[in-house]
Amino acid sequence: MVISPIHYIFVPLVAAFAIPLLSKLNKELPRIIPGIVLFYNIIISFVLMQEVNEVGYISEVIAGWRAPIGINLIITPFSGFLVSLISVLGFLIWLYGFRFKKVIDDGELRSYNILQMMMITGAIGIIITGDIFNLFVFLEIVAITAVSLTSFYRGRDGAEAGFKYLLIGGFASAMILLAILILYTQVGTLNMAEIAERMHTVPTGIKSTILILFIVGFGIEAELFPLNGWAPDAYSQAPGPTSTAFAGIVVKAGVYGLIRIIFTLFDIEGAYDFLIIAGLITMIIAEAAALKQTNLKRMLAYSSIGQMGLALIAFGIGTKEAVFAAMFLLLNHAIIKSLLFMTGSILMYNSKEKTISSLHGIAKRLPFISILFAIGAFAIVGLPPFSGFWSKLYILSAAADKEMIFLIVTILAVSVIEIIYYFRVVSKLYFAEGTTNVEVYKPKINAKISMLILGIAIFVIGFYPDLVTGYLHNAADILLDKASYIQYVLNTDSTIQ
Amino acid sequence: MEDLGLKIFGAILTTFMAFAVGMTYGGIVRKLTARVQNRYGPPVYQNFLDLLKLQSKKTNIAHGFMGHMAPVWIIIAAVTVLMFIPILNGNLWFPNLSFHGDLIFLLYMMVFGSLGMALGAGQTGNPNSAIGVTRGLSQMVGYEIPFVLALVALMIQYETTSVQDLTQIQHETGVWNAFANPFAFLAALFASLGMFRYSPFDIVGAPAELASGPVSEFGGKYLGTMMSGGAVFAFIKLTLYVHLFFGGAGNPDNSGIWATLAGIGILLIKTFLLYMIPVFYGWINPRYRTEQAIRYFWGWPTALGILGVLWAVYIY
Amino acid sequence: MNIFFLLIIILFSGALLSFVSNRIVPKISGIISFLIISLVSILFFSQVNIGETFQFILGEIPMQYGVTPYTYIFAIIVLGLGTLAAMYSIEYMKDKDRLGYFYSNFLLTILGMLGIVFSQDFISLFIFWEIMTWSSYLLVIYNGYNSRNVGMKYMIFSAIGAYAMLTAIVSIKANYGTYTIAEAIQNGAFNFSEHMYIPIMLLVGFAVKAALMPLHVWAPNAYSKSPMSFTSIFSGAMSKMGILGIGLVLASAYSYSNNDDTTNYITALRYTLGWLGGITAVMATIYALIQTDAKKLLAYSSVAQLGYIIVGLSTGTELGVMAALFLAVVHGIFKGALFMVVGAIEKQVGTTDMTKISGLIRKMPFTFFVALVSIIALAGVPPLGGFVGKWMLYEALITESNNYFLIIVIFFSSTAAFLYSYRFLFGLFLGQEEKETEHVTEAPITMIIPMMILAILLIVTGAFPGILFEPISHGMHNLGFSDVNWSMSVLVNVWGEESNMTYINLSIGIVFVVIFAFLTIKGYKGTKNVGTKDISTGGEIPTENENLTFQLDFFKPFERAAAPLYKRSMDKIWNDLGNAIDSLSDFMRKIYSGNGQTYALFVVIFLVILLLFKDTLFAN
Repeated sequence: MVISPIHYIFVPLVAAFAIPLLSKLNKELPRIIPGIVLFYNIIISFVLMQEVNEVGYISEVIAGWRAPIGINLIITPFSGFLVSLISVLGFLIWLYGFRFKKVIDDGELRSYNILQMMMITGAIGIIITGDIFNLFVFLEIVAITAVSLTSFYRGRDGAEAGFKYLLIGGFASAMILLAILILYTQVGTLNMAEIAERMHTVPTGIKSTILILFIVGFGIEAELFPLNGWAPDAYSQAPGPTSTAFAGIVVKAGVYGLIRIIFTLFDIEGAYDFLIIAGLITMIIAEAAALKQTNLKRMLAYSSIGQMGLALIAFGIGTKEAVFAAMFLLLNHAIIKSLLFMTGSILMYNSKEKTISSLHGIAKRLPFISILFAIGAFAIVGLPPFSGFWSKLYILSAAADKEMIFLIVTILAVSVIEIIYYFRVVSKLYFAEGTTNVEVYKPKINAKISMLILGIAIFVIGFYPDLVTGYLHNAADILLDKASYIQYVLNTDSTIQ
Repeated sequence: MEDLGLKIFGAILTTFMAFAVGMTYGGIVRKLTARVQNRYGPPVYQNFLDLLKLQSKKTNIAHGFMGHMAPVWIIIAAVTVLMFIPILNGNLWFPNLSFHGDLIFLLYMMVFGSLGMALGAGQTGNPNSAIGVTRGLSQMVGYEIPFVLALVALMIQYETTSVQDLTQIQHETGVWNAFANPFAFLAALFASLGMFRYSPFDIVGAPAELASGPVSEFGGKYLGTMMSGGAVFAFIKLTLYVHLFFGGAGNPDNSGIWATLAGIGILLIKTFLLYMIPVFYGWINPRYRTEQAIRYFWGWPTALGILGVLWAVYIY
Repeated sequence: MNIFFLLIIILFSGALLSFVSNRIVPKISGIISFLIISLVSILFFSQVNIGETFQFILGEIPMQYGVTPYTYIFAIIVLGLGTLAAMYSIEYMKDKDRLGYFYSNFLLTILGMLGIVFSQDFISLFIFWEIMTWSSYLLVIYNGYNSRNVGMKYMIFSAIGAYAMLTAIVSIKANYGTYTIAEAIQNGAFNFSEHMYIPIMLLVGFAVKAALMPLHVWAPNAYSKSPMSFTSIFSGAMSKMGILGIGLVLASAYSYSNNDDTTNYITALRYTLGWLGGITAVMATIYALIQTDAKKLLAYSSVAQLGYIIVGLSTGTELGVMAALFLAVVHGIFKGALFMVVGAIEKQVGTTDMTKISGLIRKMPFTFFVALVSIIALAGVPPLGGFVGKWMLYEALITESNNYFLIIVIFFSSTAAFLYSYRFLFGLFLGQEEKETEHVTEAPITMIIPMMILAILLIVTGAFPGILFEPISHGMHNLGFSDVNWSMSVLVNVWGEESNMTYINLSIGIVFVVIFAFLTIKGYKGTKNVGTKDISTGGEIPTENENLTFQLDFFKPFERAAAPLYKRSMDKIWNDLGNAIDSLSDFMRKIYSGNGQTYALFVVIFLVILLLFKDTLFAN
């Protein structure tokens, strides 16, 4: 194996510590360094994905302590796919936000870049770790950086949003920590593979309690209802690139945590049905609330919540096709939502009142942005020939296989509502009468490139989904295959597989 | 070839006969109406004189292309429908083209003429004409319902849509349809009141209301042509009714001269008697407003029509 | 590279090209799109062989494409009308902005429809159906009208229909194991014996596009508020896609008669569809005749005519289905022509409000000719194509179905159709000539040519309906119906009676020539042609300021007579439903109260509930 997964963690950490020092040399360095780091992440990801598709698992132990005592990092096709996705997105977000604010003082510049980089790193860490306490550590990293970034603009609204996130995020951390503690007392180990092996020894009552605590904790990050009150505020108050990162990266990590817990660690059947019901309620309420929003970023936030609900439903159905479909949805959602937030932030930046109705007719002056927003809107609603259609189709197909007609009808009814509020925005952009002589903020070339890449990705996946279905099927199979996971981790003799 | 020549001769003869009979009936009715109203009345051949006068006018006012086409279309409709109705049952002299069309076609063809006139009246620019047309069309929606119900009842009852066959069946069973399906007949009778536009349904062209309605801007040769067309139409409608409900006329087995003349005679008697019904009714009734007329038709006559259809379905 | 891919790629790149080219060379998009569609049509009619299929796999789903004789009929409508509309639209859209947007969506719509024609599996059908839907949505809101009402309503109904279809499609895969249409039918997807909701959902999806009651409320506004060159194909071709689907489902359903239950269900379905079609026809007709805007009148009339077609399909007999398909083609022709006429008037005069314009016959004679021919076809008067279709429909209803009262409903609607036909012609072309319309000239030649072509087609199919009968008959064989007796000009019904168009046309022609000659020649010198101001109103000559225009409350007596019918409105029901959903979502929104402590409380409550019920929720 060429590169060790530890680089994912190690390199950004070093860079983060180095930025304040290096910025003394050159004021522009804080801007550039995250870009280099994230690009390096992409390179690692490609190499590792090649490897993992041949070999099956890559497991790395840190500091020489073998599993199950030591902490190990796992790259499976599932986590590898997610991490690659996050790396690419992270890089694109960095590219987009390179000169987001024209005037920003040095202190803020440093902190912004450090925090953004660490948030992405934390998310990656959550996904590749194989130790449950390590998971908690990375979750805290993500939480702290996210809270700080939420209230980055030092205004009243930012502070309020940050406070809510902090309050509820604190709950999340507390729940998870409590769950880990109880779990440790029951199974005596912190290594996820070993926990999975020993889970059947835990008495049922305690098991379900632990599960509940985990669900509440991770659910807060994964924006489950009713734990997601913080989300609309946080998304709408954070700076553009940050909300993009929230929607594209952070929430995926939360969902990953939840899924990993339920699928790998625990073996409770009822959890799957619970996922379906919880996801369904989340989706319905979020989409219904989105219908009445006047602030574009809030609307996008609610839509994100809804889509995550849909993903949870798909995971909850539990068959191979369903899990495959859920992963496809996560992939699509990451790409499309990122695009929507990127374009949406620029649109909102041009509006004084920050409402949708103030955007009328703006497409004439911002044609590039508007078209990308429109493509994103069409894609997320699930219209062919864009990528979102395929994920929806696969989810519905999986549901039909299990005769869940009511579920299908509900999902589609909610889709109609999605259409309403997205198309409302699109038609406002294009066809309402606009004010003709207002100065608009046009994005620079770097932002345009990243948005264009995402847009092209939507088209390409839409026209030829077979590009990614292979990987995703692999990933789905691995997720469901608990036994080999345990075997690989615990029987790893050396540090490298 | 001889057959073709006979057919063409028969066609032209039919047209002229229809025209003459229609005009004469008109004249007779004018005379009778006058007598009822305690007047002397014009002579029976008055209509012919009117036609002559109109056609010999030196100057004619044309209101544009559609105005020019309107009488043409009326004649087209009249003659075409005439060709497809068997005037005398299976007679070699007047077979016309009745093998090749049927009731539904006849219904629609009759509208062709009205459409032409409506368009022509519209182009004149006279608001009275337009109002008259709209009233006429609205009334038509009214009386078409019971009429169609009656026809559908007959068609279902005997499983045929050809006028020829309906007449034939009456001949074979020996029972007139008026008695075989009385409800249908009554419905059709009520509808005929609307069709002939005597009171109480004459609001369409009433001079006191609308300055003659649709025809108000037509004069000279145009009016003359339209009058002739109207006369032929009257004859057609009567003949259709007679064939549908009163057994038609003429003997299919015998095509000699005397039999033909006898057939024509019977036809004339039957049609005239039938014509008297709306005329009588008109003598004693005031005028309905258009919406009253429409409502009237959608009331009892439609109910009778529905009964007729039910009768056809369940009794037979 | 097979022909299907080629056509799709041509259309798609055409769309992109139109969009982009408009920024480089203004106004060229129209010509480009016309050339592209013509190219596609030529390629289609020369290269495509009926019965060839292509397969490939996309997204792990096997997809199959090919043209069946049945869908070939609709291809004729789509491509023919599309080409003519594109030619028309060059001139019609000349002075408007955002041409690139218009033409690219125009081409995408044609792409969607062509794809539907080609699809032989459900997934591709759905994909192209959706492409067609969203590109037409983008065109409906083109005129910038209040998109909430017009475009949004259209999109919502289309989405409901499409998603009903999607539910059925995934259920078919789950229950019958295949996505291919032919295989699904073979495996019994439409036979109503189990999973009845599947064909019904599909029918709902198709019925939205075919504007069947109660899913028709989007149609009047959507048809009238879109640009007219688009409405030609919107109303002429797109609604027929719904008919394509309904015909397919019904035909497959009819071919089953395994047991009594199935037959009962199917009979119930036929009755329901028939009555829905009939009521659609009646209600749309009576709403059409009170309209003052010519576009809306045509829109309602479209809905009514679609009602006839559905009644024809619902009879389930050969003659009925043939009537329906024939009417579908002819309706596409004359409705396409009529919307072009209205567009021409809109372009030349500036408005289509019939209370503001009248008397255009002398100024736009060619347009009038097209309108006249189309209206005659619409009304179903011989000798044009509409009569042929209506004749077959009535014959089918009378002779073969037991649904006698439906006949009355259809006849009523047909008769009332004369009213709005007259209204259309009178309102735009006849009547008094006004000062406001004095400057009006005839429409440009590139708009007249497509209209005239359509008018001539109407005349030809009226005289020789056999031209259309042939492909329709093949299509019906393909669906599983046996043949109806037909020949080039003769229509025959089940009882053996026939209606021979040749004689009819001969008779009409001869009489026309004779009388026309007579009337023109006689007294030729003495005939004065006068304008519309020279009329006799009670013997006086009207002065300048007298109002002689009759356009308002045109059919008031009828309105009064039929007042109870006008009180029912489907629209209100849907609006109420929409409002209910709106308040529901408002309620949901308020859950997110914005108060951080409340959110924290939610978390705690959630935790407590889960802990309380953990045994039931997470039993192992």
